[in-house]
Amino acid sequence: MSEYTVVGQKLPRVDAVEKVTGAAQYGADVHPAGMLYGKIVRSKHAHANIISIDTSEAEKLPGVRAIITQDDVPSGRRVFATDKVLYLGEPLAAVAATDPDIAAEAAELINIEYEVLPVVQDVMEAIKPSAPHIQGDETKDGPKRRDISAKIKELAADQDNDHAAEIQKLEAELNNYDDEIYHNISAESHTEAGDVEKGFAESDIVVEDTYVIPRVHQTYMEPHVSVASADSSGKITVWASTQGPFAIRSGIAGTLGIPLTQINVIGTTMGGGFGGRFGVIITHVPAVLLSQKAGRPVRVQMTREEEFLDGRPAPGCVIKLKTGATKDGQILARQALAFWDSGSVSGASIGSTIRVRGVYKIPNIKIDAYGVHTNKSGTAAYRAPGAPQAIFAGEAQLDDIAEQIGMDPVKFRLMNMREEGDEVPAGGSEPKVGYKETLEAVADAAGWWDREADDNQGWGVAVGDWTNGCGPGGVYVSVHEDGSARIFHGSMDITGTDTAITQIIAEILTVPYDSVTIRRGDTDSAPYSTGSGGSVVTFTMGNTAKLAAEDAHKRILELAAERLNTNEDNLELKDGAIHVITADPPKSISLGELAAYSLSTTGGPIVGKGSFARQSSTPALAAQIAKVEVDPETGRTRILKLVASQDVGFAINPMAVEGQIEGGTVQGYAWAMMEEMQYNDNGNVNPGFVDYRVPTSADLPTVESVIVEVPAPNGPYGAKGVGEPPITPTLATMSNAVKDAIGVRISELPIKPEKVVDALKNNGHGA
Amino acid sequence: MAKYPVSFKVNGDEQDLLIEPRKTLLAVLRDVIGLTGTKEGCSTGDCGACTVIIDGKAVTSCMVLGVTVAGKEITTIEGLAEDGELHPVQQAFIDTGGYQCGFCTPGFIMSSKALIDENPDRTEEEFRHALGGNICRCTGYTKILEAVLNAAEEIRTNS
Repeated sequence: MSEYTVVGQKLPRVDAVEKVTGAAQYGADVHPAGMLYGKIVRSKHAHANIISIDTSEAEKLPGVRAIITQDDVPSGRRVFATDKVLYLGEPLAAVAATDPDIAAEAAELINIEYEVLPVVQDVMEAIKPSAPHIQGDETKDGPKRRDISAKIKELAADQDNDHAAEIQKLEAELNNYDDEIYHNISAESHTEAGDVEKGFAESDIVVEDTYVIPRVHQTYMEPHVSVASADSSGKITVWASTQGPFAIRSGIAGTLGIPLTQINVIGTTMGGGFGGRFGVIITHVPAVLLSQKAGRPVRVQMTREEEFLDGRPAPGCVIKLKTGATKDGQILARQALAFWDSGSVSGASIGSTIRVRGVYKIPNIKIDAYGVHTNKSGTAAYRAPGAPQAIFAGEAQLDDIAEQIGMDPVKFRLMNMREEGDEVPAGGSEPKVGYKETLEAVADAAGWWDREADDNQGWGVAVGDWTNGCGPGGVYVSVHEDGSARIFHGSMDITGTDTAITQIIAEILTVPYDSVTIRRGDTDSAPYSTGSGGSVVTFTMGNTAKLAAEDAHKRILELAAERLNTNEDNLELKDGAIHVITADPPKSISLGELAAYSLSTTGGPIVGKGSFARQSSTPALAAQIAKVEVDPETGRTRILKLVASQDVGFAINPMAVEGQIEGGTVQGYAWAMMEEMQYNDNGNVNPGFVDYRVPTSADLPTVESVIVEVPAPNGPYGAKGVGEPPITPTLATMSNAVKDAIGVRISELPIKPEKVVDALKNNGHGA
Repeated sequence: MAKYPVSFKVNGDEQDLLIEPRKTLLAVLRDVIGLTGTKEGCSTGDCGACTVIIDGKAVTSCMVLGVTVAGKEITTIEGLAEDGELHPVQQAFIDTGGYQCGFCTPGFIMSSKALIDENPDRTEEEFRHALGGNICRCTGYTKILEAVLNAAEEIRTNS
């Protein structure tokens, strides 16, 4: 029996009724009086110089109220392309009109003259010297050239000895690795611990493979949208569908050179985010610029096609991975060389390549990762950014080693998993995490130990780790004369976080869950809040809410002591009333009565304040098992069973936590089996749900979720962020299951039927 | 562009409107009548977020031109609750946690209602296939199916 009455319970969400009745207000539901409809004009080529942009025909169309290009951006910050476009769909201009169809018509009338340039879409082609240079031409050295150059530098620094001959030899050696001069590089990241060469030399088995993971779209169901209204005083209001209203406020201020206080961002109900809803210039800035020019509110709403062309999806990547192990199952070394497709921007989760280390004791590790420019839109976060890709490589290769040494994949993982106090490769010391408990839980729940498989059926297992982020937040809680409480804060609800905050405050104030309500303020009114991404909200805002409720609790006892003529030590807040524990007969005052009393005191109403920024987080593990059946003739894989466990620390609302596990696991399944943004020299070729298939209920079985609770020391009630971990292992889970079924590793995702058929043919299994 | 007079019923209310032939029913519901509970997720009839019920059948309203619904009876998500009481399908989505971001939810509820009205005796597998025209990106569908099966059971028992 839980010691808690509200947290830990499967309660309906605070936004339940508005969500099932259509009353919830999303971005596109905002319609201020006089609103115009915006439309962005996009590049029709993947790589081209812009010769001219002619808006004259569009201006003549009745109903058009404003047309903007980069010339209308006073700060000069790039909002629209000017001299060159880098991908199909890149914004060049925007139109505002009295009707969405007129805006679309006007956008078509803007005449743009291009000089088409050569295109590169494949990262392994883009790094070659022959590739078109997309943004300047930044070259970087690969791992061997880096090692040799480091040695040369070391020798040259030694003034006491003459190393001229040695240096000359090394410089000559450098020339042998010309293919390691990578072009079109946007960023790089390198990590090393121990000595991988030594580790591989001591290994009985060394496995190497190349893993190819496609670019996929977050595919939140609500396309990007914003409504902006600039009034005559210069004050700007933006209704934004975003994960981070405060980040959007500073982003708009920075991009347009407007003071922060002149911008108010109102976060609308968010139709899914998954990391992809932090962008400032995608719709928000164009909406503001159009509104400023037209003098009327403007809504800019993307279509699904625009989402695929100019959203900020998850980067695809190529990871070359090598692992060495002893024949009794000890992993000794792991080395990765990764190329992440960052499209037109830099970055692209390259730092996440380190996640190939997994949750295992690996004494020697070396990671070299590069971001590579291609002619695609930029990328952004997608649920545990970079982890699903890296963990796919790591966990797929682990299974191949287990197979070679003849060890059960679950036992092999359990044997190598880190325990509390173990060294994390290139990362300090391991805290207490339920790694083994979570893997054992999923193995038990799935029936792994006595699993059966008919012909063409297979079982796969994998684990993935992730640690929630943390950030600043503020919460106020007021207690009212009727005994109810009201929460005020500024963080966006990301599918259940408002509910978790409410549960925490009800728990501490010992009042019924439904007597606590929660209200979100805009950036003008609410205390600053970090963005709702990185699984931060329950951790951060949960802690903040706890502090606010505890602050209110303190004030409640103070007031009650005054009112009941006793000492605070004699008081207890329980069941929504303050009781004098020493009194006989019992003596108490209800929270409502106390709140009414507070209004005539010197100290005033009961208001608790919580403010919080940072505490160290604890890693979480997701472990999954799938059973599949592959049709060797068609190559089609049917998923028969999907079981997912997760160490969540503490489930504040188990129904919401299960929902996160189920949803994240299915997104991982889709990445493994179906989803892939496809490109050719013209750009993205599957910008819609017919050609970019996401799973429907018809593709899936029931996802069985198993909650494991190993508390996080700094989490509210021990809770960890739960949103991101469940997507991390599924790519490998599926690849491992398919391999178990057909005996062939498919290391290039997604595992589409044609790849299965080809793999079987190439291995002599085919029809 | 010229507009044409069209009369139809939405959630029991008579609508007499002038509609441009290029406007979809979805655009008419949202922009003209102001019923924004019906969502636009793809504009190509693939995601089901805009599902409404026309004369008893679930239809993606982004694929229907407004001028073609003359004389028809349309039910949107706003028309499901009666006298402040949620429809059993709406209640089931709440009880099971069958929604997260909620954007696909109106479409799912409308599709589910039409399917249950037509035949509440479908198996889970049959519902899974019948709901294949609605996309949800958050839930992984497990709790949606639980909601639909619970609602079907409730409606069966009470009819």
